[in-house]
Amino acid sequence: MTSPEGLLLAMLILPFLGSLTAAFLKPAARTPAWALTWAATLIALGIAAYLYPAVEGRAVLRNEIEWLPSLGLNFLLRLDGLSWIFSILVLGIGALVTLYARYYMSPEDPVPRFFAYLMAFMGSMLGLVLSGNLIQLAFFWELTSLFSFLLIGYWHHNQSARDAARMALIATAAGGLCLLLGVLLIGKIVGSYDLDRVLASGDLIQSSDLYLPALILILLGAFTKSAQFPFHFWLPHAMAAPTPVSAYLHSATMVKAGVFVLIRLWPVLAGTDAWYFIVSTTGLLTLLIGAWAAIFQQDLKGLLAYSTISHLGLITLLLGLGSPLAAVAAIFHAVNHATFKASLFMAAGIIDHETGTRDLRSLSGLYRFMPITATLAMVAAAAMAGVPLLNGFLSKEMFLSASLAEHSGTIIDQALPALATLASAFAVLYSLRFIHQTFFGPAPQGLPRIPGEAPHWMRVPIEILVVACLLVGILPAMTIGPYLATAVHSVLGDATPAYSLAVWHGFNPPLFMSIAALGLGTGAYLLFRKTLNRQDGAPLIRRLKGRKIFEASLAAIVDTARALERLLGTRRLQPQLRLLVVVALLAGLLPFTRLGYGLGDHQGTVVDPGFAVVWMIGGACAIGAAWLAKYHRLAALILTGGAGLVCCITFLWLSAPDLALTQLLVETVTTVLLLLGLRWLPIRAEEVWPGGRAASVTLRRAIDLTIAVAAGLGMTLIAYAVMTRPLPGSVSRFFVERAYPEGGGTNVVNVILVDFRAFDTLGEVTVLAIVALTVFALLRRFRPAQESVGAPAQQRVQNAIDEAREGRQVGDTLKDYLLIPRVIMEWLFPVIMVFAIYLWIRGHDMPGGGFAAGITLSIALIVLYMASGTRRVEARLRVQPARWIGFGLLLALLTGMGAWLFGHPFLTSYFGYLDLPIVGKVPAASALLFDLGVFLIVVGATALILIAIAHQSIRRPSASILRQQALEQGEG
Amino acid sequence: MGYSLVLTLPEIILSASAIALLMVAAFAGDKAARLSTWLAVLAFIGAALVVPGVTGPGGIAFNGLFVADSFAAFAKILIYVAAAIAMLSAMSWFARDGVYRTEYPVLILLSSVGMGMMASAGDLITLYVGLELQSLAAYVLASFQRKDSRSAEAGLKYFVLGALASGILLYGVSLLYGFSGSTSFEGIAAAIATDGISTGELFGIVFVLAGLAFKVSAVPFHMWTPDVYEGAPTPVTAFFASAPKVAAMALLTRVTIEALGAATFEWRQIVIFMALASTILGGVAAIGQQNIKRLLAYSSINNVGFALIGLAAGTPEGVASVLFYMTVYVVMTLGTFFVVLRMRDEAGQPVETIVSLSGLSRTRPALAAAMAMFMFSIAGIPPLMGFWPKFYVFEAAVAANLTWLAAVGIATSVIGAFYYLRIIKVMYFDDPAPAFEARRDLVSSAVILAAALFVSPLGWFALEPLGTASLNAAGALF
Repeated sequence: MTSPEGLLLAMLILPFLGSLTAAFLKPAARTPAWALTWAATLIALGIAAYLYPAVEGRAVLRNEIEWLPSLGLNFLLRLDGLSWIFSILVLGIGALVTLYARYYMSPEDPVPRFFAYLMAFMGSMLGLVLSGNLIQLAFFWELTSLFSFLLIGYWHHNQSARDAARMALIATAAGGLCLLLGVLLIGKIVGSYDLDRVLASGDLIQSSDLYLPALILILLGAFTKSAQFPFHFWLPHAMAAPTPVSAYLHSATMVKAGVFVLIRLWPVLAGTDAWYFIVSTTGLLTLLIGAWAAIFQQDLKGLLAYSTISHLGLITLLLGLGSPLAAVAAIFHAVNHATFKASLFMAAGIIDHETGTRDLRSLSGLYRFMPITATLAMVAAAAMAGVPLLNGFLSKEMFLSASLAEHSGTIIDQALPALATLASAFAVLYSLRFIHQTFFGPAPQGLPRIPGEAPHWMRVPIEILVVACLLVGILPAMTIGPYLATAVHSVLGDATPAYSLAVWHGFNPPLFMSIAALGLGTGAYLLFRKTLNRQDGAPLIRRLKGRKIFEASLAAIVDTARALERLLGTRRLQPQLRLLVVVALLAGLLPFTRLGYGLGDHQGTVVDPGFAVVWMIGGACAIGAAWLAKYHRLAALILTGGAGLVCCITFLWLSAPDLALTQLLVETVTTVLLLLGLRWLPIRAEEVWPGGRAASVTLRRAIDLTIAVAAGLGMTLIAYAVMTRPLPGSVSRFFVERAYPEGGGTNVVNVILVDFRAFDTLGEVTVLAIVALTVFALLRRFRPAQESVGAPAQQRVQNAIDEAREGRQVGDTLKDYLLIPRVIMEWLFPVIMVFAIYLWIRGHDMPGGGFAAGITLSIALIVLYMASGTRRVEARLRVQPARWIGFGLLLALLTGMGAWLFGHPFLTSYFGYLDLPIVGKVPAASALLFDLGVFLIVVGATALILIAIAHQSIRRPSASILRQQALEQGEG
Repeated sequence: MGYSLVLTLPEIILSASAIALLMVAAFAGDKAARLSTWLAVLAFIGAALVVPGVTGPGGIAFNGLFVADSFAAFAKILIYVAAAIAMLSAMSWFARDGVYRTEYPVLILLSSVGMGMMASAGDLITLYVGLELQSLAAYVLASFQRKDSRSAEAGLKYFVLGALASGILLYGVSLLYGFSGSTSFEGIAAAIATDGISTGELFGIVFVLAGLAFKVSAVPFHMWTPDVYEGAPTPVTAFFASAPKVAAMALLTRVTIEALGAATFEWRQIVIFMALASTILGGVAAIGQQNIKRLLAYSSINNVGFALIGLAAGTPEGVASVLFYMTVYVVMTLGTFFVVLRMRDEAGQPVETIVSLSGLSRTRPALAAAMAMFMFSIAGIPPLMGFWPKFYVFEAAVAANLTWLAAVGIATSVIGAFYYLRIIKVMYFDDPAPAFEARRDLVSSAVILAAALFVSPLGWFALEPLGTASLNAAGALF
């Protein structure tokens, strides 16, 4: 760790380490927390100072640690002249602020937490200036946003602190994301995020198409952070933070981060027209607006805040000008501003601390109470105003001479000297007001506290900073000179201009401008000082309240969000379904618009009129079923059956008798089972529309109908387009060719089911068995709804007739009801059974098979149940579906396993023909046994479901329903 | 065949465990619920452990129906771990109301088998079977508290809408098959590559993507998410927000890259639209929410949008960023939901309003700190882990010349930060609401702590392995 690289890393880690340790201290541990923080900062500062030789003469100290090799990204610490001088500022002022905060923070505050945040912030800022790659820079950038949020919101019992913290975080973190995107673009242009490579690729970047977007994004980041107009609004509100925080964030760190990035990337980004116009205009506007607003502040810290904005604008303007000399001035002023502004904030903090107020109008004549603080503040304010022999003067002089040079040949060139002088005059004016209003005049009246000098150690930081201002101001070349030169060289390299840091440059235009500004500012103060105290906010730009705009836009976002939710959000299922269908419909339209609608090569056959009529009937049935589904379930079901029948006829028409047979049987069974189930559905409630059905309802239904028709049409069109194209190579040819030679059957479907794909069939019938058992299990305990428990209307009528007539018992009519059909249906049972067996046996060669046979036998059972009633059937016939299923499964399985006896794989089949007496030649494949298994399972499954439904009608209703009924009868 | 069975070993372990636990459920009843849950966790651990083993060489099972490559392995491990953790949250939560049932771990296991198949699908048929297996179990889970009308409603809604979406998906599947002549991803890719894209295939792509968009809850197929998240029991919501999201995203990625790689131009437009709409709507709509579960639902929509930005890039880096995003998202979201699960008032009743978090920093400082970390992390603020996935996604988008998409993403993440910060503000700055009941729950505390550590800067240690693994996994698709 003692190598320069190791020390560099240690310097960065120290603040974070301090932060982590402080975070775990007890809230009452004030002194340990402070001592820890201070020690860590001082050590880091010592390291930074020690590392100076490593950066002298444009040398660069790099410490690269593998970080994310998968992204080609390394954690890279890079120390050069510029980052060295900023490190010294961050750590040096950090150390002073820490010392100051020890005396400033009140005993009630949980101080360790404060120091933990402060240290973490310091570390983030240090990480930012030491970043050797751009991603890392953006990363630490966001870290500073996060910790500044915590610092500004430290007094969270204070509403304005909370708002300010949130505002600062949203503004600067959003800017940080822009910066991230900007550096991603830079990385894309350069092919690397390494700062050294980026800095060497200036031409590449400026000639890229992505230059402008990258520039704008990076500038957005820098401007939000450095509180440039129009993003300056968060800074004045951040004054709700404890003063040490303001002194730190708004002098050396947070707001300097934006400026730092601009300086860092100046060599590669500056020099274009876009850079010039955007950056210098923003800087100029910020400079003037900040200074103008600062004049009219009544809050001590508010005045300093706006002056900070103004000075940041000045630095931005200098960078925007694009000339190397201006860049030197920018770097120099960034350093100077940090020193005098930190001391002024601390002085303001002392005044606030000692008097209990920061209102300029209540303060007056404090000089007699705190002469030392007053003197220090005066010197620092003079530096801010640009009074000679102070550091502020030197950099302002450089600024004024830069403003005289020609940069773009536009109107800005002519206006700049005058505006620069004006801004300097504003600076003189507000500095004067700050000093005069606070320290001079009569003794203050009605202060919350009797003021006095602050503790000596609280003043020490200010003293050090003020001495620095003076030393730099008087002996610039001997103090800051070499360090500034190192920093400037590290940025500008060979382009470094000749500049002079002397106090006296002779009588030249900048000096006259300085004198003019001093005179103008003093004169204006003397003239307007009384008026200023009456002002409530700055004239001209009073309306321009960034905070209001910010809050209004937040409110607008929230309102829009709520409105959007009201408009689009719904918890109702129907609109959600509608949306889903409509979006799918629209999505379906997209390919149409792009590729058009085209049919395949297949020629359509001429439609037989008879077939067309059949289909029209089928279509009418389907529409009728859909229409009636809500109003008349029975009719709808019968119509569905009609549509199904048309389907069967279609299969026959198109020469698929086996399909037709299966379809017919399945249709019959499902329709009957559904009919049986209908009874247990609740009675449909009548539609009630008090005052007639609203037009909106009709409209909605019409829209729904349109959507449905459109979706249906779309599907039809697509299906039609598919069917006019050749079929993809299917497996059917394979099966057709091999069905007889390899499966020994001519009914291909059956051969597939029981031979080629017998394993699948085994699985399917197993599932069928499970489903049947599940349905039975579910319906076994099912108790129908109360309203459907009573006898059906028809039975009630019949019973009423029986009761009314003499000589008849209740139930007589029912007993004889449909007697003849019943007898016929009972007689049909054996016939259908024989037919089923016939289907089973012929299945291998002809339409039929185990499945069809099973369904057929189920129909026989259903007919029997319907004709004779559950009790009667079960008294005469042993119906044990579960056993049938079990036996069928075993049979199928054993048949399959039988193949093993002959040394063949599972389910290999043997086939041949058997000559039976009377019946004749029948196919006798081993698959027939397998098919018998299928047969049994299908019958069993259907019968099991049937029984589950049938038993509902003979089951006693649940006890609660019976009680209910008894109650109702009692009442009746 | 034998090799195929080896490749599907994780699925076999989970299916066998599900069946075995179902028997336990049938015969031992709800007494065995806790035991079954822990056994199911063991099954998940076992399955996750064998995943790298069987996918070591990478292989294709059942004639291309099932792919066991490093992409599937990455997704599966994430899915299994997430599912196991989400399942653990259910035990104590349901037990409080006396309705924890042994079926719960069984359903989670079955759903996870489906999710594993989704990640491994190499064929439209596998895709559908996996999807439905996952969904059917999920429908039941959503209505697990069937006596609670909200839960029942959530289940029904999810089922009806999910069935409709499945229908749309199937329609697309049949069109893709009809026009390309193949159901295998490889075959479809070959057909598109040789003949160019036909109208029918384009239809197929549109409908398949629409169906999958429903599963990842991307706008405009997101409507169910807030309702289901709010209505379903919170442990179920935690599950929905984690593992199934990963599975659906993995499936979407595999379909777009593997089957439709040659039609990148076509599907990219759709994915970009979904990404934009999801990030914007998810971000904006979350602002007005009062219920934390609804808010997290919109947050998940927003986050899915971000992951889709990575997918839109269509490059290996883009796919890697999707995997990376989902990994970090799952950790953050599980952590958040475990905090939400702790939200019960003095009487032990669950509370879900954001207001009830007021002043949590004073009543339960540790819980508030963890929640604050999750919120900052989801907002993507460094140094927390949540920054990285966004960074990866944006980088992939910029590298694929989709800068403007990344820019919109950034704008919406600022909107997103707004409501995450609101929760932090409520917890730290507002006057305390009635305190939550204090109850020790070792499992939940451990999960919250682990998730918090992962999103903290300590998670950086995971950055590099995760980055390498996701790149490696993404490479399997190209």
